[in-house]
Amino acid sequence: MKKYSIALILLTIVLICQPGFAGAPTAAVDNTVNRVLQVLRDPKMKGPSAKQAKTERLRVIYKDMFDEMEFSRRTLTRNWKKFTPAQQKEFVDLFEQVLEKAYLDKILDYSNEKVVFYKETMASDRQAEVESKVVTSSKEIPIFYRMILKDGKWKVYDVVVENVSLVQNYRTQFNDILADGTPEKLLETLRKKVQTH
Amino acid sequence: MFLMMRYCLLILLLLILPVEIMAISCRAEEPVQAVSGGVSSETVSPGPDQAVPDNRSHSKHNGTGNTTEDEDFDYDDDPFKSERVTIDDPIESFNRTMHNFNDKLYFWILKPVATGYKAAVPEPARISVKNFFSNLRYPARLVSCLFQGDFAGAATETGRFAINTVWGIGGLMDPSAGKELNLQMQDTDLGETLGVYGVGHGFYIVWPFFGPSSPRDSLNFLGNQVLYPLSFLNIWYASLMTTSVETINRTSLRIGDYEALVEAAIDPYVAVRDAYAQYRMHEVRVRKAKSLFFKDNLPGDAMPDSASHPKPIP
Repeated sequence: MKKYSIALILLTIVLICQPGFAGAPTAAVDNTVNRVLQVLRDPKMKGPSAKQAKTERLRVIYKDMFDEMEFSRRTLTRNWKKFTPAQQKEFVDLFEQVLEKAYLDKILDYSNEKVVFYKETMASDRQAEVESKVVTSSKEIPIFYRMILKDGKWKVYDVVVENVSLVQNYRTQFNDILADGTPEKLLETLRKKVQTH
Repeated sequence: MFLMMRYCLLILLLLILPVEIMAISCRAEEPVQAVSGGVSSETVSPGPDQAVPDNRSHSKHNGTGNTTEDEDFDYDDDPFKSERVTIDDPIESFNRTMHNFNDKLYFWILKPVATGYKAAVPEPARISVKNFFSNLRYPARLVSCLFQGDFAGAATETGRFAINTVWGIGGLMDPSAGKELNLQMQDTDLGETLGVYGVGHGFYIVWPFFGPSSPRDSLNFLGNQVLYPLSFLNIWYASLMTTSVETINRTSLRIGDYEALVEAAIDPYVAVRDAYAQYRMHEVRVRKAKSLFFKDNLPGDAMPDSASHPKPIP
């Protein structure tokens, strides 16, 4: 009986000691998510006519939270050097538009699911991963934000949805396209993608 | 009845405790390794080192050799580098055809049917149907857990099956996943079991109807046939009907996920292939971390398992 209770105490200690501290990275993401939720729940901006206004405000928050340069460069890795500075700038712009067109409607469709931040892990002094999950009635979707500390501010450079990293996913696609095409061809593909929606 | 439940819990606890104690003693050794290993990028013996590049899998899977590594743009100091997984695709034209077929099948047939089903059947009922079928897949999960050496998981699964079948009205409800009991489903299969034993995913195959797979993971279909109770129904089309119901039900709960991936992609085929490779690699890694046989052989990485390797802040 004594061994059993000691084991039980050890088990309890192990379970309690899973760290749940929230540091600067989690605070930054939490803050952003709250700002987004404020925009989405604003009673003054209801209905389809408010979509443009909402999109403008969400775009501002997005630029604040995401490090677009880091995000874009990490999807190209060594191929970044093949782009001229003008092409690089266009790539970052186009990529942002692609992501916006793909995910904006889903964010605008948000309807009171819970977002829970439950863990933060420091991978190094300047990099961290914040783990969150979106709890809907039928499932839980794990969303991890990978962040980097630049100029004293934590910004997101990768989003991992259900254990699939967005940066890695696009990196594979761009690698394939650039393996037998020029940067201009990739930009052309992106331009067409942005226009067709 | 509650006395019975308490006995069941006691038995489970006694099964799980020795495993947890072993896990605790293993974890107690890790901070020592992390401190001595430091944040260098040298290859050291396997352990939860932060920046050890996963040279083994990197050279195995990366088709284009990394002979001229450019430090600025290759992000070698990326703590998540070992998660860069690639999968060979020698039969790409066949795969692309199958992918297009599956894509049309989804948008033209499966999604409309699932949308109609979703409108007709309320969500709690659909979740119950999902729980029912998931409960029946217990034998395959149990065998997988046992072969992976995850005895805690096997005990959890058995507990879940017993509790859900009896107190969950034949598996329709899922009381074991609730906050009091918190026995989570060990979502694993035979493909992951092989992966834990070191079998690589091989190459990419897209099967019509079944979707993305690999030679290793295709064995899931075989294994599930043997270990799934409903495959032994005598009427030949009964199994097909139950599988259809299960698929439509599961799709109705996840409408929008596939579209999200495909619409955001520049090349949808590659996007699905890469998502599949990343997803399976992560699942195998999580299973390895839970396996008594293999958990000390994890490749160095910052986050092998989100639930059990928090980094100490220096």
